[in-house]
Amino acid sequence: MKWWVSVWAMEIRKILAYRSDFWITFLGQTTIQLLIARALWQSIFEAQGTDSMKGFTLPMLTLYYLIVPIGTRILTGENIGFISREIYDGTFTRYLIYPLSFFQYKTITYLTQASFYGVQLILLYTLYHLFYTDSAGSAVNLFTGLGLFFSASITYLSMAMSLELMSLWADNVWSLGVMLRFFTSFFGGGFIPMVFFPDWARVVLEWTPFPYLVGLPVRATMGLVTTPEILQGLVLMMSWSLVFMGLARFIWRRGQKHFTGVGI
Amino acid sequence: MKRYLRLYLYFLRFSFSKALQFRLDFTFRIIMDIIYYVVNILFFKVIYLHTPMLAGWSEEQMMVFVASYLLVDAINMTIFSSNMWWIPFHINRGDLDYYLIRPVSPLFFLSLREFSANSFLNLLIAGGFFTYTLAMYSAPYNFLDLMLFIGMIINGTLIYYCIQMMMIIPVFWTHSARGFQDLFYSMGLAMERPDRIYKGWLRLVFTTVLPFALIASFPARIFIEKFEWTTIVHLFAVSLGLWIVMISFWKLGLRNYSSASS
Repeated sequence: MKWWVSVWAMEIRKILAYRSDFWITFLGQTTIQLLIARALWQSIFEAQGTDSMKGFTLPMLTLYYLIVPIGTRILTGENIGFISREIYDGTFTRYLIYPLSFFQYKTITYLTQASFYGVQLILLYTLYHLFYTDSAGSAVNLFTGLGLFFSASITYLSMAMSLELMSLWADNVWSLGVMLRFFTSFFGGGFIPMVFFPDWARVVLEWTPFPYLVGLPVRATMGLVTTPEILQGLVLMMSWSLVFMGLARFIWRRGQKHFTGVGI
Repeated sequence: MKRYLRLYLYFLRFSFSKALQFRLDFTFRIIMDIIYYVVNILFFKVIYLHTPMLAGWSEEQMMVFVASYLLVDAINMTIFSSNMWWIPFHINRGDLDYYLIRPVSPLFFLSLREFSANSFLNLLIAGGFFTYTLAMYSAPYNFLDLMLFIGMIINGTLIYYCIQMMMIIPVFWTHSARGFQDLFYSMGLAMERPDRIYKGWLRLVFTTVLPFALIASFPARIFIEKFEWTTIVHLFAVSLGLWIVMISFWKLGLRNYSSASS
Protein backbone atom coordinates (compact mmCIF):
# COMPACT_ATOMS: atom_id res chain seq x y z
CA MET A 1 0.00 0.00 0.00
CA LYS A 2 2.92 2.30 0.85
CA TRP A 3 4.23 1.99 -2.73
CA TRP A 4 0.90 2.95 -4.17
CA VAL A 5 0.86 6.17 -2.15
CA SER A 6 4.46 6.99 -3.10
CA VAL A 7 3.81 6.53 -6.82
CA TRP A 8 0.58 8.52 -6.54
CA ALA A 9 2.38 11.43 -4.79
CA MET A 10 5.20 11.35 -7.33
CA GLU A 11 2.75 11.45 -10.23
CA ILE A 12 0.85 14.38 -8.72
CA ARG A 13 4.14 16.30 -8.38
CA LYS A 14 4.88 15.52 -12.04
CA ILE A 15 1.47 16.82 -13.17
CA LEU A 16 1.90 20.03 -11.19
CA ALA A 17 5.48 20.60 -12.33
CA TYR A 18 4.25 22.42 -15.45
CA ARG A 19 1.55 24.68 -14.10
CA SER A 20 1.08 26.64 -17.32
CA ASP A 21 0.26 23.37 -19.12
CA PHE A 22 -2.24 22.54 -16.43
CA TRP A 23 -4.13 25.83 -16.70
CA ILE A 24 -4.01 25.96 -20.48
CA THR A 25 -5.37 22.42 -20.74
CA PHE A 26 -7.94 22.84 -18.00
CA LEU A 27 -9.41 26.18 -19.03
CA GLY A 28 -8.39 26.63 -22.67
CA GLN A 29 -9.17 23.20 -24.05
CA THR A 30 -12.45 22.82 -22.18
CA THR A 31 -13.70 26.30 -23.10
CA ILE A 32 -12.76 26.04 -26.76
CA GLN A 33 -14.39 22.65 -27.25
CA LEU A 34 -17.51 23.80 -25.43
CA LEU A 35 -17.81 27.00 -27.47
CA ILE A 36 -17.39 25.21 -30.81
CA ALA A 37 -19.91 22.49 -29.95
CA ARG A 38 -22.41 25.01 -28.60
CA ALA A 39 -22.09 27.19 -31.71
CA LEU A 40 -22.79 24.16 -33.89
CA TRP A 41 -25.88 23.07 -31.98
CA GLN A 42 -27.19 26.60 -31.68
CA SER A 43 -27.00 26.82 -35.46
CA ILE A 44 -28.89 23.51 -35.81
CA PHE A 45 -31.58 24.58 -33.33
CA GLU A 46 -32.01 27.89 -35.19
CA ALA A 47 -32.22 26.14 -38.56
CA GLN A 48 -34.89 23.78 -37.19
CA GLY A 49 -36.69 26.53 -35.26
CA THR A 50 -36.99 24.31 -32.20
CA ASP A 51 -36.02 24.38 -28.51
CA SER A 52 -35.41 20.70 -28.11
CA MET A 53 -34.11 17.79 -30.16
CA LYS A 54 -34.21 14.14 -29.09
CA GLY A 55 -34.82 15.27 -25.51
CA PHE A 56 -31.87 17.66 -25.45
CA THR A 57 -32.30 21.43 -25.04
CA LEU A 58 -29.44 23.84 -25.77
CA PRO A 59 -28.55 24.31 -22.05
CA MET A 60 -28.50 20.50 -21.67
CA LEU A 61 -26.17 20.18 -24.64
CA THR A 62 -23.99 22.92 -23.15
CA LEU A 63 -23.61 20.88 -19.97
CA TYR A 64 -23.05 17.74 -22.06
CA TYR A 65 -20.16 19.34 -23.97
CA LEU A 66 -18.75 20.83 -20.77
CA ILE A 67 -18.46 17.36 -19.26
CA VAL A 68 -17.19 15.61 -22.42
CA PRO A 69 -13.63 17.12 -22.62
CA ILE A 70 -12.91 16.68 -18.90
CA GLY A 71 -14.57 13.27 -18.87
CA THR A 72 -12.49 12.18 -21.85
CA ARG A 73 -9.37 13.20 -19.95
CA ILE A 74 -10.45 11.11 -16.94
CA LEU A 75 -10.98 8.24 -19.34
CA THR A 76 -7.73 8.51 -21.25
CA GLY A 77 -5.58 9.15 -18.15
CA GLU A 78 -2.04 9.36 -19.42
CA ASN A 79 -0.99 10.53 -22.84
CA ILE A 80 -0.68 8.26 -25.86
CA GLY A 81 2.71 6.54 -25.70
CA PHE A 82 2.72 5.96 -21.92
CA ILE A 83 4.14 2.46 -22.47
CA SER A 84 5.32 2.38 -26.08
CA ARG A 85 7.65 5.36 -25.64
CA GLU A 86 9.49 3.57 -22.81
CA ILE A 87 9.77 0.38 -24.83
CA TYR A 88 11.07 2.36 -27.80
CA ASP A 89 13.76 4.27 -25.91
CA GLY A 90 14.77 1.36 -23.67
CA THR A 91 13.85 2.97 -20.30
CA PHE A 92 11.40 0.10 -19.89
CA THR A 93 14.19 -1.90 -18.21
CA ARG A 94 13.92 0.28 -15.09
CA TYR A 95 10.87 -1.73 -13.96
CA LEU A 96 13.23 -4.63 -13.27
CA ILE A 97 14.51 -2.81 -10.18
CA TYR A 98 11.22 -1.20 -9.11
CA PRO A 99 9.63 -2.66 -5.99
CA LEU A 100 6.30 -3.08 -7.77
CA SER A 101 5.39 -4.66 -11.07
CA PHE A 102 5.20 -2.79 -14.34
CA PHE A 103 1.41 -3.35 -14.58
CA GLN A 104 0.83 -2.10 -11.03
CA TYR A 105 2.99 0.97 -11.59
CA LYS A 106 1.24 1.90 -14.83
CA THR A 107 -2.21 1.37 -13.31
CA ILE A 108 -1.42 3.70 -10.40
CA THR A 109 0.03 6.47 -12.58
CA TYR A 110 -2.90 6.14 -14.96
CA LEU A 111 -5.50 6.36 -12.20
CA THR A 112 -3.64 9.26 -10.57
CA GLN A 113 -4.00 11.25 -13.76
CA ALA A 114 -7.65 10.20 -13.97
CA SER A 115 -8.33 11.26 -10.36
CA PHE A 116 -6.67 14.61 -10.99
CA TYR A 117 -9.06 15.28 -13.88
CA GLY A 118 -11.87 13.99 -11.69
CA VAL A 119 -11.22 16.92 -9.33
CA GLN A 120 -11.42 19.26 -12.33
CA LEU A 121 -14.81 17.78 -13.23
CA ILE A 122 -16.13 18.40 -9.71
CA LEU A 123 -14.90 21.99 -9.90
CA LEU A 124 -16.40 22.70 -13.35
CA TYR A 125 -19.71 21.02 -12.53
CA THR A 126 -20.03 23.11 -9.36
CA LEU A 127 -19.11 26.35 -11.14
CA TYR A 128 -21.58 25.61 -13.94
CA HIS A 129 -24.44 25.10 -11.51
CA LEU A 130 -23.47 28.10 -9.40
CA PHE A 131 -23.16 30.68 -12.15
CA TYR A 132 -24.57 29.48 -15.44
CA THR A 133 -27.86 27.74 -14.92
CA ASP A 134 -30.88 28.07 -12.64
CA SER A 135 -31.08 24.33 -12.09
CA ALA A 136 -29.40 22.98 -8.99
CA GLY A 137 -26.66 20.40 -9.42
CA SER A 138 -26.98 17.03 -7.81
CA ALA A 139 -24.13 15.51 -5.80
CA VAL A 140 -25.62 12.04 -6.41
CA ASN A 141 -25.53 12.54 -10.18
CA LEU A 142 -22.04 14.02 -10.08
CA PHE A 143 -20.56 11.15 -8.08
CA THR A 144 -22.46 8.51 -10.06
CA GLY A 145 -20.96 10.03 -13.20
CA LEU A 146 -17.50 10.15 -11.65
CA GLY A 147 -17.76 6.53 -10.56
CA LEU A 148 -18.72 5.51 -14.09
CA PHE A 149 -15.88 7.57 -15.57
CA PHE A 150 -13.40 5.73 -13.31
CA SER A 151 -14.84 2.34 -14.29
CA ALA A 152 -14.60 3.47 -17.91
CA SER A 153 -11.00 4.57 -17.42
CA ILE A 154 -10.07 1.05 -16.26
CA THR A 155 -11.70 -0.40 -19.39
CA TYR A 156 -9.92 2.18 -21.53
CA LEU A 157 -6.62 1.46 -19.77
CA SER A 158 -6.94 -2.23 -20.62
CA MET A 159 -7.67 -1.38 -24.26
CA ALA A 160 -4.86 1.19 -24.49
CA MET A 161 -2.42 -1.19 -22.80
CA SER A 162 -3.10 -3.91 -25.38
CA LEU A 163 -2.35 -1.45 -28.17
CA GLU A 164 0.68 0.14 -26.47
CA LEU A 165 2.27 -3.27 -25.93
CA MET A 166 2.24 -3.78 -29.68
CA SER A 167 5.35 -1.62 -29.63
CA LEU A 168 7.25 -4.74 -28.59
CA TRP A 169 7.04 -5.55 -32.32
CA ALA A 170 6.54 -2.18 -34.01
CA ASP A 171 8.70 0.88 -33.35
CA ASN A 172 5.98 3.46 -33.26
CA VAL A 173 2.39 2.68 -32.35
CA TRP A 174 1.01 6.10 -31.41
CA SER A 175 -1.27 5.90 -34.45
CA LEU A 176 -3.06 2.94 -32.78
CA GLY A 177 -3.69 5.14 -29.73
CA VAL A 178 -5.05 7.90 -31.93
CA MET A 179 -7.35 5.40 -33.66
CA LEU A 180 -8.68 4.26 -30.29
CA ARG A 181 -9.39 7.89 -29.37
CA PHE A 182 -11.24 8.52 -32.65
CA PHE A 183 -13.40 5.45 -32.12
CA THR A 184 -14.06 6.25 -28.47
CA SER A 185 -14.96 9.88 -29.15
CA PHE A 186 -17.19 9.24 -32.12
CA PHE A 187 -18.83 5.91 -31.30
CA GLY A 188 -18.90 6.76 -27.59
CA GLY A 189 -20.97 9.90 -28.09
CA GLY A 190 -18.18 12.42 -27.47
CA PHE A 191 -18.80 14.26 -30.74
CA ILE A 192 -22.56 13.78 -30.96
CA PRO A 193 -24.80 12.32 -28.20
CA MET A 194 -25.67 8.72 -29.05
CA VAL A 195 -29.38 9.50 -29.13
CA PHE A 196 -28.82 11.29 -32.47
CA PHE A 197 -27.38 8.14 -34.06
CA PRO A 198 -29.69 5.98 -36.21
CA ASP A 199 -31.45 3.21 -34.26
CA TRP A 200 -29.67 0.38 -36.08
CA ALA A 201 -26.27 1.93 -35.24
CA ARG A 202 -27.17 2.24 -31.55
CA VAL A 203 -28.24 -1.41 -31.40
CA VAL A 204 -24.90 -2.50 -32.89
CA LEU A 205 -22.83 -0.14 -30.72
CA GLU A 206 -24.53 -1.33 -27.51
CA TRP A 207 -22.43 -4.49 -27.74
CA THR A 208 -19.17 -2.57 -28.07
CA PRO A 209 -17.46 -0.83 -25.11
CA PHE A 210 -17.62 2.65 -26.68
CA PRO A 211 -21.06 3.98 -25.58
CA TYR A 212 -20.21 3.11 -21.96
CA LEU A 213 -16.90 4.95 -22.02
CA VAL A 214 -18.16 8.47 -22.75
CA GLY A 215 -21.90 8.74 -23.37
CA LEU A 216 -23.07 6.78 -20.33
CA PRO A 217 -20.92 8.58 -17.70
CA VAL A 218 -21.75 12.00 -19.21
CA ARG A 219 -25.49 11.29 -19.17
CA ALA A 220 -25.20 9.87 -15.63
CA THR A 221 -23.54 13.12 -14.47
CA MET A 222 -26.49 14.96 -16.01
CA GLY A 223 -28.96 12.66 -14.27
CA LEU A 224 -30.30 11.22 -17.54
CA VAL A 225 -29.82 7.50 -16.93
CA THR A 226 -31.75 4.88 -15.01
CA THR A 227 -30.28 2.39 -12.54
CA PRO A 228 -30.72 -0.62 -14.90
CA GLU A 229 -28.80 1.32 -17.60
CA ILE A 230 -25.97 1.98 -15.13
CA LEU A 231 -25.85 -1.68 -14.10
CA GLN A 232 -25.87 -2.84 -17.71
CA GLY A 233 -23.04 -0.40 -18.44
CA LEU A 234 -20.97 -1.61 -15.49
CA VAL A 235 -21.41 -5.27 -16.45
CA LEU A 236 -20.40 -4.60 -20.06
CA MET A 237 -17.44 -2.44 -19.05
CA MET A 238 -16.25 -5.14 -16.67
CA SER A 239 -16.60 -7.81 -19.34
CA TRP A 240 -14.66 -5.77 -21.89
CA SER A 241 -11.99 -4.96 -19.28
CA LEU A 242 -11.49 -8.67 -18.64
CA VAL A 243 -11.24 -9.39 -22.36
CA PHE A 244 -8.66 -6.65 -22.96
CA MET A 245 -6.67 -7.42 -19.78
CA GLY A 246 -6.41 -11.01 -20.99
CA LEU A 247 -5.32 -9.77 -24.39
CA ALA A 248 -2.74 -7.43 -22.84
CA ARG A 249 -1.29 -10.28 -20.77
CA PHE A 250 -1.14 -12.50 -23.86
CA ILE A 251 0.63 -9.78 -25.88
CA TRP A 252 2.98 -9.11 -22.96
CA ARG A 253 3.96 -12.79 -22.64
CA ARG A 254 4.64 -13.09 -26.33
CA GLY A 255 6.12 -9.66 -26.82
CA GLN A 256 8.67 -9.56 -24.00
CA LYS A 257 10.68 -12.17 -25.89
CA HIS A 258 11.19 -9.51 -28.57
CA PHE A 259 12.37 -6.81 -26.16
CA THR A 260 16.11 -6.14 -26.47
CA GLY A 261 16.33 -3.52 -23.72
CA VAL A 262 18.59 -1.42 -25.88
CA GLY A 263 16.25 1.30 -27.04
CA ILE A 264 16.87 3.72 -29.88
CA MET B 1 15.88 29.37 -53.85
CA LYS B 2 17.47 26.66 -56.02
CA ARG B 3 19.58 25.56 -53.07
CA TYR B 4 16.48 25.22 -50.88
CA LEU B 5 14.69 23.22 -53.55
CA ARG B 6 17.63 20.85 -53.89
CA LEU B 7 17.78 20.48 -50.12
CA TYR B 8 14.08 19.67 -50.00
CA LEU B 9 14.56 16.93 -52.59
CA TYR B 10 17.15 15.37 -50.29
CA PHE B 11 14.63 15.57 -47.43
CA LEU B 12 12.10 13.71 -49.58
CA ARG B 13 14.53 10.96 -50.53
CA PHE B 14 15.62 10.49 -46.92
CA SER B 15 12.02 10.47 -45.61
CA PHE B 16 10.82 7.83 -48.08
CA SER B 17 13.68 5.48 -47.38
CA LYS B 18 13.18 5.95 -43.61
CA ALA B 19 9.42 5.34 -43.80
CA LEU B 20 9.86 2.13 -45.75
CA GLN B 21 12.10 0.74 -43.02
CA PHE B 22 9.17 0.76 -40.58
CA ARG B 23 6.51 -1.00 -42.63
CA LEU B 24 4.16 -1.80 -39.75
CA ASP B 25 4.11 1.85 -38.58
CA PHE B 26 3.62 2.83 -42.19
CA THR B 27 0.45 0.70 -42.37
CA PHE B 28 -0.86 1.87 -38.97
CA ARG B 29 -0.65 5.52 -39.97
CA ILE B 30 -2.47 4.93 -43.22
CA ILE B 31 -5.30 3.16 -41.38
CA MET B 32 -5.39 5.91 -38.73
CA ASP B 33 -5.86 8.64 -41.31
CA ILE B 34 -8.53 6.67 -43.16
CA ILE B 35 -10.43 6.29 -39.87
CA TYR B 36 -10.09 10.04 -39.28
CA TYR B 37 -11.62 10.73 -42.72
CA VAL B 38 -14.46 8.26 -42.18
CA VAL B 39 -15.27 9.65 -38.71
CA ASN B 40 -15.42 13.20 -40.07
CA ILE B 41 -17.70 12.26 -42.94
CA LEU B 42 -19.96 10.22 -40.61
CA PHE B 43 -20.13 13.15 -38.18
CA PHE B 44 -21.86 15.35 -40.76
CA LYS B 45 -23.93 12.45 -42.11
CA VAL B 46 -25.39 11.98 -38.61
CA ILE B 47 -26.00 15.75 -38.22
CA TYR B 48 -27.86 15.86 -41.55
CA LEU B 49 -30.20 13.11 -40.36
CA HIS B 50 -31.71 15.81 -38.12
CA THR B 51 -31.52 18.95 -40.24
CA PRO B 52 -31.66 19.59 -44.00
CA MET B 53 -29.42 22.69 -43.76
CA LEU B 54 -26.48 23.61 -41.55
CA ALA B 55 -24.95 27.09 -41.60
CA GLY B 56 -26.81 27.72 -44.84
CA TRP B 57 -25.35 24.66 -46.61
CA SER B 58 -27.02 21.48 -47.82
CA GLU B 59 -25.38 18.09 -47.24
CA GLU B 60 -23.87 18.13 -50.73
CA GLN B 61 -22.30 21.55 -50.11
CA MET B 62 -21.12 20.47 -46.67
CA MET B 63 -19.29 17.54 -48.24
CA VAL B 64 -17.34 20.01 -50.40
CA PHE B 65 -16.31 21.75 -47.18
CA VAL B 66 -15.45 18.44 -45.48
CA ALA B 67 -13.34 17.42 -48.49
CA SER B 68 -11.51 20.78 -48.25
CA TYR B 69 -10.51 20.47 -44.62
CA LEU B 70 -9.57 16.81 -45.03
CA LEU B 71 -7.28 17.88 -47.87
CA VAL B 72 -5.74 20.65 -45.73
CA ASP B 73 -5.22 18.15 -42.94
CA ALA B 74 -3.63 15.63 -45.31
CA ILE B 75 -1.23 18.23 -46.74
CA ASN B 76 -0.32 19.33 -43.23
CA MET B 77 0.18 15.76 -42.01
CA THR B 78 2.41 15.03 -44.98
CA ILE B 79 4.57 18.14 -45.01
CA PHE B 80 4.60 19.73 -41.55
CA SER B 81 3.12 17.53 -38.85
CA SER B 82 6.10 15.29 -37.96
CA ASN B 83 8.41 18.31 -37.90
CA MET B 84 6.05 20.24 -35.63
CA TRP B 85 6.08 17.36 -33.18
CA TRP B 86 9.88 17.45 -32.86
CA ILE B 87 10.48 21.23 -32.63
CA PRO B 88 9.75 21.49 -28.85
CA PHE B 89 12.15 18.59 -28.19
CA HIS B 90 14.89 20.30 -30.24
CA ILE B 91 14.41 23.51 -28.26
CA ASN B 92 14.34 21.82 -24.84
CA ARG B 93 17.29 19.52 -25.44
CA GLY B 94 19.40 22.24 -26.99
CA ASP B 95 19.49 20.42 -30.34
CA LEU B 96 18.47 23.68 -31.96
CA ASP B 97 22.16 24.64 -31.86
CA TYR B 98 22.82 22.29 -34.78
CA TYR B 99 20.16 24.00 -36.86
CA LEU B 100 21.27 27.52 -36.01
CA ILE B 101 24.82 26.99 -37.27
CA ARG B 102 23.75 25.57 -40.65
CA PRO B 103 23.88 27.87 -43.69
CA VAL B 104 20.10 27.62 -44.26
CA SER B 105 17.12 29.14 -42.52
CA PRO B 106 16.56 27.18 -39.27
CA LEU B 107 12.81 27.63 -39.63
CA PHE B 108 12.91 26.11 -43.12
CA PHE B 109 15.01 23.20 -41.90
CA LEU B 110 12.95 22.51 -38.79
CA SER B 111 9.59 22.84 -40.52
CA LEU B 112 10.30 20.76 -43.62
CA ARG B 113 13.01 18.25 -42.83
CA GLU B 114 10.70 15.28 -42.33
CA PHE B 115 8.28 14.54 -45.13
CA SER B 116 5.76 11.92 -43.94
CA ALA B 117 5.86 9.38 -46.70
CA ASN B 118 3.07 7.32 -45.07
CA SER B 119 0.81 10.36 -44.90
CA PHE B 120 1.57 10.99 -48.54
CA LEU B 121 -0.56 7.96 -49.41
CA ASN B 122 -3.35 9.48 -47.33
CA LEU B 123 -2.90 12.73 -49.18
CA LEU B 124 -3.74 10.76 -52.31
CA ILE B 125 -6.86 9.37 -50.61
CA ALA B 126 -7.93 12.85 -49.39
CA GLY B 127 -7.21 14.22 -52.86
CA GLY B 128 -9.31 11.42 -54.32
CA PHE B 129 -12.22 12.24 -52.02
CA PHE B 130 -11.87 15.93 -52.89
CA THR B 131 -11.95 15.13 -56.62
CA TYR B 132 -14.91 12.78 -56.19
CA THR B 133 -16.88 15.38 -54.20
CA LEU B 134 -16.28 18.04 -56.83
CA ALA B 135 -17.12 15.64 -59.65
CA MET B 136 -20.44 14.82 -57.97
CA TYR B 137 -21.19 18.45 -57.13
CA SER B 138 -24.37 19.44 -58.97
CA ALA B 139 -23.89 23.23 -59.22
CA PRO B 140 -21.94 24.56 -62.24
CA TYR B 141 -18.37 25.83 -61.87
CA ASN B 142 -15.54 26.61 -64.28
CA PHE B 143 -11.80 25.98 -64.38
CA LEU B 144 -11.01 29.38 -62.84
CA ASP B 145 -13.31 28.67 -59.85
CA LEU B 146 -11.52 25.38 -59.33
CA MET B 147 -8.04 26.92 -59.49
CA LEU B 148 -9.04 29.67 -57.07
CA PHE B 149 -10.46 27.07 -54.69
CA ILE B 150 -7.26 24.98 -54.78
CA GLY B 151 -5.13 28.13 -54.33
CA MET B 152 -7.14 29.09 -51.26
CA ILE B 153 -6.80 25.58 -49.81
CA ILE B 154 -3.01 25.86 -50.15
CA ASN B 155 -3.22 29.25 -48.46
CA GLY B 156 -5.35 27.59 -45.74
CA THR B 157 -2.58 25.04 -45.17
CA LEU B 158 -0.11 27.89 -44.61
CA ILE B 159 -2.50 29.51 -42.12
CA TYR B 160 -2.74 26.18 -40.31
CA TYR B 161 1.07 25.93 -40.22
CA CYS B 162 1.43 29.51 -38.89
CA ILE B 163 -1.11 28.96 -36.10
CA GLN B 164 0.57 25.71 -35.13
CA MET B 165 3.96 27.42 -35.00
CA MET B 166 2.47 30.17 -32.83
CA MET B 167 1.43 27.46 -30.36
CA ILE B 168 4.88 25.84 -30.41
CA ILE B 169 7.05 28.95 -30.06
CA PRO B 170 5.99 29.61 -26.40
CA VAL B 171 8.09 26.53 -25.52
CA PHE B 172 11.10 28.90 -25.55
CA TRP B 173 9.63 30.36 -22.33
CA THR B 174 7.37 27.65 -20.88
CA HIS B 175 9.79 24.72 -21.57
CA SER B 176 6.85 22.40 -22.12
CA ALA B 177 4.77 22.31 -25.25
CA ARG B 178 2.06 19.98 -24.03
CA GLY B 179 -0.46 22.59 -22.86
CA PHE B 180 -0.31 24.74 -25.97
CA GLN B 181 -0.16 21.72 -28.29
CA ASP B 182 -3.23 20.20 -26.67
CA LEU B 183 -4.92 23.57 -26.98
CA PHE B 184 -4.00 23.74 -30.66
CA TYR B 185 -5.48 20.31 -31.34
CA SER B 186 -8.67 21.33 -29.53
CA MET B 187 -8.87 24.54 -31.48
CA GLY B 188 -8.25 22.60 -34.68
CA LEU B 189 -11.88 21.55 -34.32
CA ALA B 190 -12.81 25.12 -35.26
CA MET B 191 -11.40 24.46 -38.73
CA GLU B 192 -13.71 21.46 -39.08
CA ARG B 193 -16.90 23.47 -38.66
CA PRO B 194 -18.47 25.92 -41.15
CA ASP B 195 -17.64 29.53 -40.25
CA ARG B 196 -21.27 30.69 -40.26
CA ILE B 197 -21.99 28.86 -37.01
CA TYR B 198 -19.70 31.31 -35.20
CA LYS B 199 -21.38 34.51 -34.08
CA GLY B 200 -20.27 37.69 -32.30
CA TRP B 201 -16.86 37.73 -30.62
CA LEU B 202 -16.29 34.04 -31.33
CA ARG B 203 -16.57 34.80 -35.05
CA LEU B 204 -14.12 37.67 -34.69
CA VAL B 205 -11.60 35.37 -32.97
CA PHE B 206 -11.88 32.55 -35.51
CA THR B 207 -11.72 34.85 -38.54
CA THR B 208 -8.92 37.20 -37.44
CA VAL B 209 -6.97 36.42 -34.25
CA LEU B 210 -6.91 32.62 -34.56
CA PRO B 211 -8.21 32.34 -38.11
CA PHE B 212 -9.20 28.67 -38.17
CA ALA B 213 -12.35 29.57 -40.11
CA LEU B 214 -10.18 30.85 -42.96
CA ILE B 215 -8.43 27.53 -43.48
CA ALA B 216 -11.20 25.61 -45.24
CA SER B 217 -14.53 27.26 -44.56
CA PHE B 218 -13.82 30.53 -46.38
CA PRO B 219 -12.38 28.75 -49.44
CA ALA B 220 -15.41 26.43 -49.54
CA ARG B 221 -17.75 29.38 -49.12
CA ILE B 222 -16.16 31.27 -52.01
CA PHE B 223 -16.45 28.15 -54.17
CA ILE B 224 -20.03 27.28 -53.17
CA GLU B 225 -21.55 30.72 -52.89
CA LYS B 226 -21.31 33.97 -54.83
CA PHE B 227 -17.77 35.28 -55.37
CA GLU B 228 -17.01 38.26 -53.11
CA TRP B 229 -13.84 40.35 -53.27
CA THR B 230 -14.18 41.35 -49.61
CA THR B 231 -13.87 37.71 -48.54
CA ILE B 232 -10.75 37.23 -50.70
CA VAL B 233 -9.14 40.43 -49.38
CA HIS B 234 -9.96 39.41 -45.81
CA LEU B 235 -8.47 35.96 -46.40
CA PHE B 236 -5.16 37.18 -47.84
CA ALA B 237 -4.78 40.15 -45.46
CA VAL B 238 -5.16 37.90 -42.42
CA SER B 239 -2.81 35.29 -43.92
CA LEU B 240 -0.11 37.89 -44.56
CA GLY B 241 -0.54 39.45 -41.12
CA LEU B 242 -0.35 36.03 -39.46
CA TRP B 243 2.84 35.14 -41.36
CA ILE B 244 4.54 38.40 -40.28
CA VAL B 245 3.48 37.90 -36.65
CA MET B 246 4.67 34.28 -36.67
CA ILE B 247 8.10 35.17 -38.09
CA SER B 248 8.52 38.01 -35.56
CA PHE B 249 7.47 35.71 -32.72
CA TRP B 250 9.95 33.03 -33.89
CA LYS B 251 12.78 35.58 -33.93
CA LEU B 252 11.81 36.73 -30.45
CA GLY B 253 11.85 33.11 -29.30
CA LEU B 254 15.30 32.56 -30.80
CA ARG B 255 16.61 35.59 -28.90
CA ASN B 256 15.36 33.95 -25.72
CA TYR B 257 16.91 30.56 -26.55
CA SER B 258 19.62 29.62 -24.09
CA SER B 259 20.97 26.52 -25.85
CA ALA B 260 21.19 23.15 -24.02
CA SER B 261 18.49 22.42 -21.46
CA SER B 262 16.80 25.76 -22.05
